[in-house]
Amino acid sequence: MLQSSPFNFRRIVIWLGRLVLAGFFIYAGYAKLFRPDLTPRVPPKMALTLFAMQIDSYQMISGNVSKWIAHTLPLAEIAIGLLLLVGWQLRVWATVITAIVAGFFFVVVRAYALGLQINCGCFAKPEPLTLGTVFRDGALLVLAVLMTVFVYQEARRSHPWSTASGASR
Amino acid sequence: MIRRLPLSLTFAIASLAAALPVQTEAQTSPSVAAKQTPVAAKTAAAKKTATATSAPAVAPATITVNGITDIDPTKTSGQKSAPLIMEVFTDFQCPACKQLFTTTLQKVTENYANTGKVYIVHRDFPLQQHAYSRVAADYARAAAHIGKGEAVEMVLFQNQEKWEANGDIKGTLSSVLNPAEMKKVDALVESKTLEPLVEKDRQLGITAAVNQTPTSVIHTKNGQVFPVVGFVSYENFKSFLDQLLAQ
Repeated sequence: MLQSSPFNFRRIVIWLGRLVLAGFFIYAGYAKLFRPDLTPRVPPKMALTLFAMQIDSYQMISGNVSKWIAHTLPLAEIAIGLLLLVGWQLRVWATVITAIVAGFFFVVVRAYALGLQINCGCFAKPEPLTLGTVFRDGALLVLAVLMTVFVYQEARRSHPWSTASGASR
Repeated sequence: MIRRLPLSLTFAIASLAAALPVQTEAQTSPSVAAKQTPVAAKTAAAKKTATATSAPAVAPATITVNGITDIDPTKTSGQKSAPLIMEVFTDFQCPACKQLFTTTLQKVTENYANTGKVYIVHRDFPLQQHAYSRVAADYARAAAHIGKGEAVEMVLFQNQEKWEANGDIKGTLSSVLNPAEMKKVDALVESKTLEPLVEKDRQLGITAAVNQTPTSVIHTKNGQVFPVVGFVSYENFKSFLDQLLAQ
């Protein structure tokens, strides 16, 4: 019964992961690109330069690399968030988003361990990197990993509503 | 007649003597001082040095530029008429401040402050968890007031690991200050006349919600304010300043 239900535990986690992670990614990309926290508003080019400066503060990469990441990451976040929401090639995009969240978690843990007094830069606005940030990113990573694992597991099964074999179970 | 002449002569001489001005040290002109004997000149020079060494009774005045208040003119770079003002809040024991000061800020000063595009205001923001930050800020401020601020800030940041281990700030400064300059700096620090300026910077930082160092706050002429936290590479700082200047 549980196996054939469209609302089993795995599918609930997958849907939760898709909604939460897509929401986080789309908003994060939008905030970095348009800086809604700034008054008066700044053009996207300037907002991206401000984001590049936030990446610099992690002291991991050179200025030119941070500039490149700042100009690609926000658009990538919006695109991947939308793809996750739509559900097209879910295994691929769930894997990609998990890798990105793992990357975020690593840099946040590293900065916290080094005692860097910086802003997170997660949503572009000034938000000090604290233990709370580490826990939030950790929770997102757990959700992303669970979602991805369950997406692969569910992909091996036929959907109860879409195939005859599923309906007969 | 014979008796009268000596009397009137005596009176005239006495009047003349009373009318003659008594020359004090304060009234001695430089040309007169130059004509003094070597011993007298040495004594005068020593007195002058003592006057210069002693700290002023009150803290020097601060200035306001485009609405930015409490600027200590000795801790600035560039021209007040610059289209951008950048306040940089730093702590001498903070490693990211060292990196920002010794790399990015040097280039920003060279290419933007010295060319009249940015007016840089150095603000002290000694963090409480750093044992010697406040003392270092006091010495750097005193050095700035005798015209050696830049050299002292650089040597403090470059040797950060050394002096923060043993607190030997004076020993670190001895490489850029001669004994006479060190004496003046010491006198200024001991008199505590410049402490209100350091404290004012810290209070301004707290008011501006600065809780991390380094924090650079960039002000434009049209009132936009951009706080930038942490180390920033010159490449990205340059891009941002160019975009603001092009507005």
